Amino acid sequence: MKIVTQKLTTKESLYFFEIAKGLWITARHFVKNMYFHIAHLYGKYQEVPAAVTIQYPEEKIPVSKRWRGNHRINSRPDGSPRCVACMLCETVCPVQCIHIIAGEHPDPNIEKYPVSFDVDVTRCCWCGMCEEACPVDAIYMDTGKTPEPGYSREDLVYHKEQLLKETPLPNYQRSLNTPGQGPMKANPMGL
Amino acid sequence: MPTVTIDERQVTVDPGTSILEAAKKLGIFIPHYCYHPRLTIVDACRMCLVEVKGAPKLVTSCSNAVADNMVVFTDTPKVEEARQSVLEFLLINHPLDCPICDKSGECLLQNYYFCHSRKPSRFKENKVKKHKVVDLGPKIVLDSERCIVCTRCVRFCKEVAGEEILGIFNRADHSEIGVFPGKKLENNYQGNLADVCPVGALTARDFRFKCRSWFLCQIDTICPGCSNGCNAVVHFTLRNFNGLKGQRVFRLTPRENNDVNKVWLCDVGRWGYAFVDSIDRLTMPAMRKGEDFVKTDWNTALKETANRLKTLVERYGANAIGVIPSPHLTNEDLYALKCLFGCLLKIANIDFKVPGFDKGEDDKILLKADRHPNTKGAELLGLSGTGLSVEAMMDKVKAGEIKALYLAGSDPVKYMGEKAEEALSRAELVIFQGTNFNASCKLAHIVLPGATFVEKEGTFTNYQGRVQKVNKALEPLGEAMADWEIFTRLGQMLGVFPSYRSAEEVFMDIAREVAPFAGITYKKIGSQGIKLTLPEGPVLSEAKE
Amino acid sequence: MYLDIIITLIKIAIVFGFVLNVAAILSWAERKQSAVMQDRIGANRADVLGFRIFGLFHPIADTIKMLTKEDWVPPAGDAFVHTMAPFLALFTALVVFAVIPFGDTLHIAGRDIPLQIADLNVGILFIVAFGGLGFYSVVLAGWSSENKYSLLGSLRAAAQLISYELALGLSIVGIVMVYGSIELDDIARAQGQYILGFIPYWGIIAQPLGFLLFFTAAVAETKRVPFDLPESESEIIGYFTEYSGMKFGAFWMGEFIEVVAVAGVVTALYFGGWQIPFVNNQGIFFPGLFTIPLPHVLIVLLQVAAFGLKVLFFCWFMLLVRWTLPRFRYDQLMAFGWKFMVPLALLNILVTGLFMYVF
Ligand code: SF4
Ligand code: SF4
Ligand code: SF4
Ligand code: SF4
Repeated sequence: MKIVTQKLTTKESLYFFEIAKGLWITARHFVKNMYFHIAHLYGKYQEVPAAVTIQYPEEKIPVSKRWRGNHRINSRPDGSPRCVACMLCETVCPVQCIHIIAGEHPDPNIEKYPVSFDVDVTRCCWCGMCEEACPVDAIYMDTGKTPEPGYSREDLVYHKEQLLKETPLPNYQRSLNTPGQGPMKANPMGL
Repeated sequence: MPTVTIDERQVTVDPGTSILEAAKKLGIFIPHYCYHPRLTIVDACRMCLVEVKGAPKLVTSCSNAVADNMVVFTDTPKVEEARQSVLEFLLINHPLDCPICDKSGECLLQNYYFCHSRKPSRFKENKVKKHKVVDLGPKIVLDSERCIVCTRCVRFCKEVAGEEILGIFNRADHSEIGVFPGKKLENNYQGNLADVCPVGALTARDFRFKCRSWFLCQIDTICPGCSNGCNAVVHFTLRNFNGLKGQRVFRLTPRENNDVNKVWLCDVGRWGYAFVDSIDRLTMPAMRKGEDFVKTDWNTALKETANRLKTLVERYGANAIGVIPSPHLTNEDLYALKCLFGCLLKIANIDFKVPGFDKGEDDKILLKADRHPNTKGAELLGLSGTGLSVEAMMDKVKAGEIKALYLAGSDPVKYMGEKAEEALSRAELVIFQGTNFNASCKLAHIVLPGATFVEKEGTFTNYQGRVQKVNKALEPLGEAMADWEIFTRLGQMLGVFPSYRSAEEVFMDIAREVAPFAGITYKKIGSQGIKLTLPEGPVLSEAKE
Repeated sequence: MYLDIIITLIKIAIVFGFVLNVAAILSWAERKQSAVMQDRIGANRADVLGFRIFGLFHPIADTIKMLTKEDWVPPAGDAFVHTMAPFLALFTALVVFAVIPFGDTLHIAGRDIPLQIADLNVGILFIVAFGGLGFYSVVLAGWSSENKYSLLGSLRAAAQLISYELALGLSIVGIVMVYGSIELDDIARAQGQYILGFIPYWGIIAQPLGFLLFFTAAVAETKRVPFDLPESESEIIGYFTEYSGMKFGAFWMGEFIEVVAVAGVVTALYFGGWQIPFVNNQGIFFPGLFTIPLPHVLIVLLQVAAFGLKVLFFCWFMLLVRWTLPRFRYDQLMAFGWKFMVPLALLNILVTGLFMYVF
């Protein structure tokens, strides 16, 4: 291993001037930011930010149009989930965070529906594979949301009812080439 | 003996063998739908077409017997094209329900499409709609749209189950399978319909929508439903997210064994696995405190058992204890039990023959009257006739002469009713060792949870005296333990006892000590079992299947 | 007699009230100032009934947290020493304030009240002595933890403290020579003179090199960045690894009190103590021109305020340093102490001596 040492110049090796330089920079930032902080208190210079901090969760960074957020289940016109409980998302999910219990639907043309559909976001890695695997475009990740913190693990398991209520982010762009939501996949099951 | 050349390889087979079977011998697989080795041949699906040198057209390999010097090709472009055309026709009206179809993953239509066709559909017209979710009976559901009219199900009912119930209605692309008017699908073999159906048209209610086939692991086992010992495959999953509450075993499917069950399984056995994950499984050792049971750990429970048994033996002698094992246990479990109670504690009152245990209904096909998989084994190990019978034991308990009863998996209350109930509630000590809560367990003082047949290794001896092996698919639920292991730990607390670490070690001892088992090892048992040379009755050779 | 005691108690109350409050606020200021320096906002979430007042509740929240945490003593350690060590740290840091003058003598109702808790005639020695005592708390904390890493950390810390103690002591010699006294009161008063009639004769003017050396060594004594090897909470294991709860909090507070103490000493020695330039005990004066007379009490109050402000400035400055510089490597630290600071301090004495001999 080659060790490269940088020789200090005499002035640098005195530390004093270098330290003074550093202190000057930090002191300048301090004074400038303090000035604007105080100005803001009096309602002045509101447009000049005194800090770059984003006060999450009150403020959020606007997400990109193609950002994968929390999951959502699309519904049929009657409000029931589009999901046919095929478990392909459960199959493809690399971290096994989707758990579906399927049931017999009274309508023989639907046949199978999810009795329960849980997404355990403590495990989810937001890879989006579930969205891609779904044959009927039932699961989307276009809510633009991040999981809210919870006090128990159970809080972070999203159930079917919750997932059905979510709405898509306006202007969400599903595909790189098509603006807007993009066409839904052709549905082999005629949903 | 005709010799044929199939794909440039030669094979000699019995006269009358079909091309398909001959090819199978060479390891060449010819796709087929309607052909089933155990059913008559109907030549319906045309999937098994092959090219025979000299024949003007392709021939169906399932129905054409080989002739000497025949030259067959199974993968020429012509054959492939024929297969593609057959698949295209089959798929014309097919609903492509794969995402919600239970067969998906093990569906021959899917498999062959991916192996042989992979062509997009050219069908522009509307598909023919047929009935979906038709109840053929309480256990089987039909989806006519998915049916490829191979008639395997029709033939199965007629030829194996012995009843003509199913038939084809309507013609051409409107044909549908259905039950003849006035008849019902209610025989004991309908579960096999879901197996014989090559596609997802017939599905079992029991398995429907529970799990996807690709989540399932499989391991060879023996059906514990009756003393026939049908060979089966247990399908289970390791993706159980609910801990002790979730389902782990999803179905039993038959495994071929010509000497036992051919390729079938009866419904009693097929759907009898539910106790494995049922809500009443015993998962923790427990001891009675007044009216209730209090959960405890193995050490405490076993120490308590050992101490109380020891005290009883010391105070009243070995005859104050009665042991009632169950022929549900494996040979290994029963042998360990015999070592413990018979040899170590010198208890003579061991009897597994609870009155009425073999009085089920015999259907003369597979299902036997004796609904226990290991009665023969228990007999061979001498677990009956050494002392009092169960009935006599119960009387003695009531008379106060027998103080303690050890129920190893058995449920006398179920068979003997009030008599046993009274006896058990009178006994000073009742130890219940078993898998599920039942009426006898309710009266026990100490409850030891045992493992079910999918949770332990072991062997069953069926009614013919065939030793067959069950394999461990899953860990015992909760803290349950294989029965031989419980006996071993108990034995070591009570005195000098072999320290068995696996069922195989127990079996090695059985092979050494019990005459009919001499020379048998797990390896020799293999997947098809081995027939014992029985002491009484006709001497059978060690049939090697 | 009783009145003297009462007056002394009042002075103690004032000084401790000031010091402890400043130390507590420093724990808030450290977060907020670093945040402002780094374009951030800093801790602001602790609220009481929805009021956040710039995160000022954080020190309170911290205290509640510290007090309610498990107080853990290593089972193999020495429980008594383990408990005493943090108190020693607090004590040595606090007691230094006894000799720091924070105002001119107050003449009120015929009494002369020196604004200094104890006017020791060995003031500077007292400060150096108690500063030196502080390192016992470090060594004892490490030793009584019965943890070899804590012990190593404490030895490392002791080595650092002793090395810089030397430079600290030597750098003060210059001041003592210049003002001819080791009484802090005298030194503060002497800084009221003017060179050429208008340049305040403060320590920093008389002893610029001495000031730099003293300040550097004093920062090293407080064990703060860039000399925070003894603690360096985040990376290296230090002497208080085995401390939890309020005992850990005591070390933490001790550190902030030391910051205030260093600020006080630096002010007293080098920044004119309570002196305000161009204000003498008559009032505001313009050298050689005229004087605006002010009442005595007001002047004293102004001087006390000036002292307080100077202390606060130095506290601020030390936070600035702490959030600007990276940490020394240990060998650099020792080399810097022994090969740079000590010779320079000796040189400073020599030059000061020469000057005094010449003039
Ligand atoms: S985004 Fe990925 S990890 Fe999350 S549920 Fe979907 S498939 Fe699973
Ligand atoms: S892949 Fe789609 S339809 Fe299938 S279970 Fe998941 S969400 Fe439901
Ligand atoms: S029968 Fe096979 S091809 Fe048809 S829907 Fe079911 S899985 Fe798919
Ligand atoms: S239901 Fe199944 S077995 Fe019966 S004819 Fe249709 S495809 Fe064949």
